[in-house]
Amino acid sequence: MKKTVAAVYDRRKNKATTRRSQSAATAAWALAFTLNGKRVSKKVKPTQTLLDFLRIEMGLTGTKGACEEGECGSCYVLVDGKPMNSCMMLAPQVQDREVVTIEGLAKGKRLDVIQQKFIECGAVQCGYCTPGLILAAKALLKDNPHPSREEFLVGMEGNICRCTGYNKILRACELAADELGLKK
Amino acid sequence: MFYQPKSIGAALDRKAELRERGVFLAGGTDLVVLMNAGKATPEHFIDLSHVPELRTINRRNGTIELAGNVTHAQCGKLPVQCLAQASMSVGGPGIRELGTIAGNIATASPAGDGSTALLALDAEVELTSVRGVRTMPLEKFFVSYRKTALAPDEMITKVTIPTDYQSAWLKNGKRGAVNISVVAVAVAQPSRLQPERPQAGRLCNEIRIALASVAPFPVRCHKAEAVFAKGGDIRQVAETVREEIKPISDHRASADYKTHLAGVMVRRLLENLT
Amino acid sequence: MTTAKSSSAYETGPMKVVGTGALRLDALGKVTGATKYGQDLFSKKFLFAKVLRAAHPHAEITGIDTRAAKKLPGVVAVLTHKDVAGTNLHGLIRRDQEALCSTKVRYLGDAIAIVVAKNEATAVEALKHIRVDYKPLPAVFNFDDAFKPDAPKIHAEGNVLGEKHLRKGDAAKAMSEAEVVVEDWIQTQTCDHAFLDLEAGRAKWDGKMLVIEVPGQWIHEECRLIALALGLPVEKVRIIQPATGGAFGGREDISIQIYLGLCALKLKGETICMRYSRSESMVVRHKRHPIRIHYKLGAKKDGTLVAAQIKFYVDKGAYASTGIAVMRKASSHATGPYKVPNISVDVIGVFTNNNPCGAMRGFGAAQTAIAYEGLMDRLAVKLGMDKAELRHKNLVKSGDEVTTGQVVPYATAVECFDAVLKKIDWKNRSYATPAPHLKRGYGVSIVCFGLGYGDGFPDASRARCRLMPDGIIEVYSSACDVGQGLINMIAQIAAEEIGVRLEKVRPVLADTMRTPEAGSSSATRQTYFTGSAVHIAAAELKKQLQDIAGTHLKELVYEIKIVDGKAFNYLHPGKRMTLKEIAREGKRRGYSLEALGVYKPPTMPENTATGQSLRAFVTYLFGSHACQLLVDTETGEVKIERYIACHDVGKAINPDQVIGQIQGGVTMGIGMALMEEVVKKNGRILNAGFTDYIVPTIRDVPEIECIVLENPDPGGPFGARGIGEPPLIGCGPAILSAIHDAIGKPIRELPATPERVWRTLAADHP
Repeated sequence: MKKTVAAVYDRRKNKATTRRSQSAATAAWALAFTLNGKRVSKKVKPTQTLLDFLRIEMGLTGTKGACEEGECGSCYVLVDGKPMNSCMMLAPQVQDREVVTIEGLAKGKRLDVIQQKFIECGAVQCGYCTPGLILAAKALLKDNPHPSREEFLVGMEGNICRCTGYNKILRACELAADELGLKK
Repeated sequence: MFYQPKSIGAALDRKAELRERGVFLAGGTDLVVLMNAGKATPEHFIDLSHVPELRTINRRNGTIELAGNVTHAQCGKLPVQCLAQASMSVGGPGIRELGTIAGNIATASPAGDGSTALLALDAEVELTSVRGVRTMPLEKFFVSYRKTALAPDEMITKVTIPTDYQSAWLKNGKRGAVNISVVAVAVAQPSRLQPERPQAGRLCNEIRIALASVAPFPVRCHKAEAVFAKGGDIRQVAETVREEIKPISDHRASADYKTHLAGVMVRRLLENLT
Repeated sequence: MTTAKSSSAYETGPMKVVGTGALRLDALGKVTGATKYGQDLFSKKFLFAKVLRAAHPHAEITGIDTRAAKKLPGVVAVLTHKDVAGTNLHGLIRRDQEALCSTKVRYLGDAIAIVVAKNEATAVEALKHIRVDYKPLPAVFNFDDAFKPDAPKIHAEGNVLGEKHLRKGDAAKAMSEAEVVVEDWIQTQTCDHAFLDLEAGRAKWDGKMLVIEVPGQWIHEECRLIALALGLPVEKVRIIQPATGGAFGGREDISIQIYLGLCALKLKGETICMRYSRSESMVVRHKRHPIRIHYKLGAKKDGTLVAAQIKFYVDKGAYASTGIAVMRKASSHATGPYKVPNISVDVIGVFTNNNPCGAMRGFGAAQTAIAYEGLMDRLAVKLGMDKAELRHKNLVKSGDEVTTGQVVPYATAVECFDAVLKKIDWKNRSYATPAPHLKRGYGVSIVCFGLGYGDGFPDASRARCRLMPDGIIEVYSSACDVGQGLINMIAQIAAEEIGVRLEKVRPVLADTMRTPEAGSSSATRQTYFTGSAVHIAAAELKKQLQDIAGTHLKELVYEIKIVDGKAFNYLHPGKRMTLKEIAREGKRRGYSLEALGVYKPPTMPENTATGQSLRAFVTYLFGSHACQLLVDTETGEVKIERYIACHDVGKAINPDQVIGQIQGGVTMGIGMALMEEVVKKNGRILNAGFTDYIVPTIRDVPEIECIVLENPDPGGPFGARGIGEPPLIGCGPAILSAIHDAIGKPIRELPATPERVWRTLAADHP
């Protein structure tokens, strides 16, 4: 085994940082991150999932949970713009990150284009999958304003809908892309 | 306790201190799911999500070095066909942004997509601890069902793959997306070993064939690879794969179907490899 | 469009609200995350409850010891059957299921005890400290084992839940004289509803009554069941339906209502909440009945059907639930849309120690359709006849009898079928594929489905319309919107009938204390029943408004029209009165400004011996599907290339929503046909989660092309019928028909997974 640890990784200067954000006395974690544009600081139980934290501690019940296994996408949030399944994340993992939930999309009464198109296209039935799908579409269209059909499928294949048959959802996302494209 | 080190060194110190009592948290896509089901209750967590050194991708001497916490989404953009395709076949976009290759390898699921592709690429894993650094071929890393060669104080810090292999990937599932594979296949041919006359399916004299979901962990089909090296044609290679593997029947599929499927998939990949 | 119930006898011209794709009234809350479903009603201040489930699929309970659990810090109560003051029983047809088991458990989802604690984690932990002593009993997990004479008895009266018989003409004789006979068996699978919004809700005793907020499908029936089980007068139970994320029949049986009600009664003043995990939801909830169907079909050489002999073997699971009704729907639809003069059907339902089976979209008719369409395909092959031509020859037409002997005065099976054949260009269909291992297949199916419960069941819906002082029309109905868009259907009908814009209608839904009983959101009945009740109530209210306006404006009451919320004499419009003014004037003169509508169309019970009834169902729904797919013959994978669905809905109250229901039903049908299956071993579900209970993703569903026909039904509101179940019923048969066409062999067992398709291809026998 090579004894090159000291040369490859300088441990000494990094040792102090692991203690910075912890309370040494209790197991609680001092969570600090940006949520829907606002700074949040709260002590959390580190084993609480991000999903439960958002819903129970922050009262933001728009993000849903339906499977606890990352199979359905209803728990999607955006972390630094990327979609992630909050049911399989522990709250401390978003330390210092920017998190956006469905509640963070509309600006007051002004809906996001994707939200608007979901309503107009009849893409909402029971609505349980809707927040997750809208965030998946938001992430997709941010990086790729003109997705091909295949790219749409890649972006939305992680969301299960049991009611609509997906056709109207895809149409809503395509129309949203068109409208965003026109704006650019 | 929950620890969130900012460097590999700090993480390793903590792991050396806690050993089995402290689990690494990479993306959490395996660990947190187990916790949700009440099947895992770790005493301590060492969260690697804030160690920037573990997200890097470097090219060096005809290889790509993927740091341990490189995500499936990042791998999905690499110019390495089988790994990129395997990574994009994992779950949905959310899981791909969370899940990491080190996590995939360390979990050692028999159905690990990234692991299987890496096997076909002759990937080398770098394992680091406070005691030092060691590397080993990925194939040696899988020991038995969900058990690896990782020591209690070690972290997977790097996975190194070649850039000059021609490779491809095929995964069979029970629906169009978000599948645990019924069978998945990765094939790769090291292009530096070019024959005089490359032909379809035979771009070089050697091949790597790796399969998921046919054994306790992702495996290479060395017998089939040997048949290929000796000049066997595509049909013979596929047949040897069928003879070589010994999948089990489970609630996903029966053994005979998996065996049949593996042969079909290997054959198709080789036929399309150009 | 005029109907007998409309008071707008002088109305002419197109409708303004009904027939438009108006945007969903509840969509805004859903796209912003503001809508509150069951689990969104929780608070950390509430107490949490968790249920202890059976450790064996079949066992006697010899002891329950909750002392250790009670002592755990944070545990507030541990409740067992001893704490239940009422009957402790529920069940939609037979009250045979204990809320908390006392002497026996019959499947792994049975409940033994409830822990109430300060938080969920403590409740979960406390479950482990409850000690239950069992004497395991031998168990049975399939029809054959349960039916043996020496099989262990699951219920005291034996393992047979019941039988259904249908006899028309002389099937045995006609079959013996038939020129061509085909015979085969089909085995359908256990399916789970897999709605996303997991069972969750809260309950509290508010000083006067028990208030339960849990999503269901028929809140008044749930109230009655809760009241009986807990020993309360029914007036003391109030259910308020939260926003609901899907049901598909899966909320028809009692889920957590009685548990929460019991906790609230024992801890008066506290709010208790409970939620299921996905695995608990799957382990506990009732499932679609798996049915083995033996089907024999006899015909003349020219393809005219002469006889059908069918036997259904139904695995009922542990409790009765709605099994008898499912069995009856299977038998009454046994020949589907085809005219068969001689029919014999026997259905037998048998208890096993699997999950109880109950309602799921299709309700027995989905399984039956797979059988009758499958046998028609086999007949076509045997006759060497085009399968569309064979079907055309035998489809019911207006004035023909269906399976139960009921004459359908207006049948549009042929129109629906022709529409899909035209769209898919049946005559010019091509079998050329990009590669030799890919085989193309085309499948068709036709749906003929009785709407509502029928069979003499006293089904009704009631609704109330009220004019508010601000000119808004409130519509009160207990109908549960479970996602299907019932809220719009109600509002659009009321708006159209009264003559206001949609924004002026406010539906008030599903609160047993405020809204009249509407019956269940099931059996594709809400548009017909509740839509009619709303229509009647709105028409009655409108008469009051016309009376007030006419008197006030000094015009003939019969010449008053209301358009866009303003009343005037349509012959000489000059003076007008707004609804707000009518409300003020009406109040001044002591009018109620309210009207009740009751819709209770009768049906006649089926004869026990023959299954025949002149009016088995209130009306029938027709539809047809066509499917084009590719089968990879080396892997067995199926890729649907094109899907066309045509449904006659009578009148599309909201065409966009109708299409949404068709596409959703087809998608669920794709799941049932190709990938969904609850895998069980010795009563234990092996795939109780979304990783291995596979439902369709966006990649599994093609563009679903919808054709909506509107041939009005005289009994429905504005001619409307319904749409919920037929799109699923038509789908499985069309896909299996296409696979049969592609590979030349029929698939007998569902789902047609790649492995099953491959195995069928590889097998020697046809």
